[in-house]
Amino acid sequence: MALATLDAIILQAFPYSETSKILRLLTPGHGVQSVMAKGARRLRSRYGGILEPFTDGFATFYLRQNRELHTLSDFELVRPRQALGRDLVRFGGASLLAEIMLRTASEEAAPEVFSRVRSALDRLEAASPETVEATALAETWALITALGFGPSLDRCVECGEAVPDEGELFLDYAAGGVFCKACQGGGGGGRVLPEPARADLRALSAGVVVELPRTGAHWQLLSRFLAFHLVDAASLRSLDFLYGARGAQ
Amino acid sequence: MGVIDELTAEFARLPGVGRKTAARLTFFLLKRSPDEARRLARAIDAVADRVRHCSRCGNLTETDPCGLCEDPRRDRSVICVVEEAADVLAIERTGQYRGMYHVLAGRLSPLEGVGPEDLNIDSLLRRLVGSTGGKEVQELIIATNPSVEGEATALYLQKLVRPRGVRVTRLARGLPVGGDLEYADGVTIAEALSGRREL
Ligand SMILES: [Zn+2]
Ligand SMILES: [Zn+2]
Repeated sequence: MALATLDAIILQAFPYSETSKILRLLTPGHGVQSVMAKGARRLRSRYGGILEPFTDGFATFYLRQNRELHTLSDFELVRPRQALGRDLVRFGGASLLAEIMLRTASEEAAPEVFSRVRSALDRLEAASPETVEATALAETWALITALGFGPSLDRCVECGEAVPDEGELFLDYAAGGVFCKACQGGGGGGRVLPEPARADLRALSAGVVVELPRTGAHWQLLSRFLAFHLVDAASLRSLDFLYGARGAQ
Repeated sequence: MGVIDELTAEFARLPGVGRKTAARLTFFLLKRSPDEARRLARAIDAVADRVRHCSRCGNLTETDPCGLCEDPRRDRSVICVVEEAADVLAIERTGQYRGMYHVLAGRLSPLEGVGPEDLNIDSLLRRLVGSTGGKEVQELIIATNPSVEGEATALYLQKLVRPRGVRVTRLARGLPVGGDLEYADGVTIAEALSGRREL
């Protein structure tokens, strides 16, 4: 048992009792951890209302092995992300990143995933209104890639041969990538990816924001792909929300 | 489990009541006259029996529509939208607001699976159209909590309502960020109400 102060991003915060909150924290060295913040819902709480989703800070708590819920003893604010709530696509995009982290939750160290999420939230907040959807898509694909299940777009998932940049190829969701012309594929869930769409997806997976004329198709592709790669196939609530929020914008 | 333990266990489920306090409450009741205990039981029973959600505003009430909706002295041109029924009480305590209310019963939270369809939004939109052919409601004050999710909910409502020609305002800052309206003191709420701004 050791009192530890860790870099932490609040993925989720929900009321526990009349006075307390439970936080799900993303940390670089210990993955996703749950902590109880006693008194956090009180008006004059020492946390002063900073224990909100997407907030960045230093969390101090006793890190006990095999403990499901730790007790937070301090949280030092580094960066509030209140502004993400003032735009529905930013809010939905940030929720989606958090939901993916919660659905793939592990307590293993993953510093690169942590910095990925942190910079993704920063970029979502800073994106211009015209690029916010493409930014949300890019950050999500890049996170999926950092988590190790990004789509294979340059090599055939069946034979491993490099595929040419030109021409359309079949993207198989379950296999997690494209099939070369020789291997065909196309039996299971998937779709034909035209050349420009593959180029866009390659850029997005590298976290590069590209101009997307039709974002609807991209959200759909993301949603289908994720359905095959998250532990239970239930659709991501944030994706449903985002889909609706785009219309409301 | 004996009846004493049973009652203690029930008390312990109440917010802010631990095992020790629960036992103290039980023994307090046992020391009093049986009539006193029965009176408490009847009051709880009546609440469970008679309190409903108002079909118009979603507030908790014994009569439907609720007293606030039926009060002819209240200003029908303004609706204050809150997350929970407890927020109505908090705002009423200030004595500064004479308009109507609408209780959403929550806030948007994709992570907790709360989408627009899970909130009392349809009934709100119906009120804006109104039975008298519209135009009755002129302003919507969105008093969701100043949290990330409360802000997103406010924004969602604003986008939905603005095209209908209703003025949409938001409580002024001054309410603690991330705090619950329910726990804010009257002065703070009253100031936030008078300093509300256009969304
Ligand atoms: Zn192949
Ligand atoms: Zn009512």
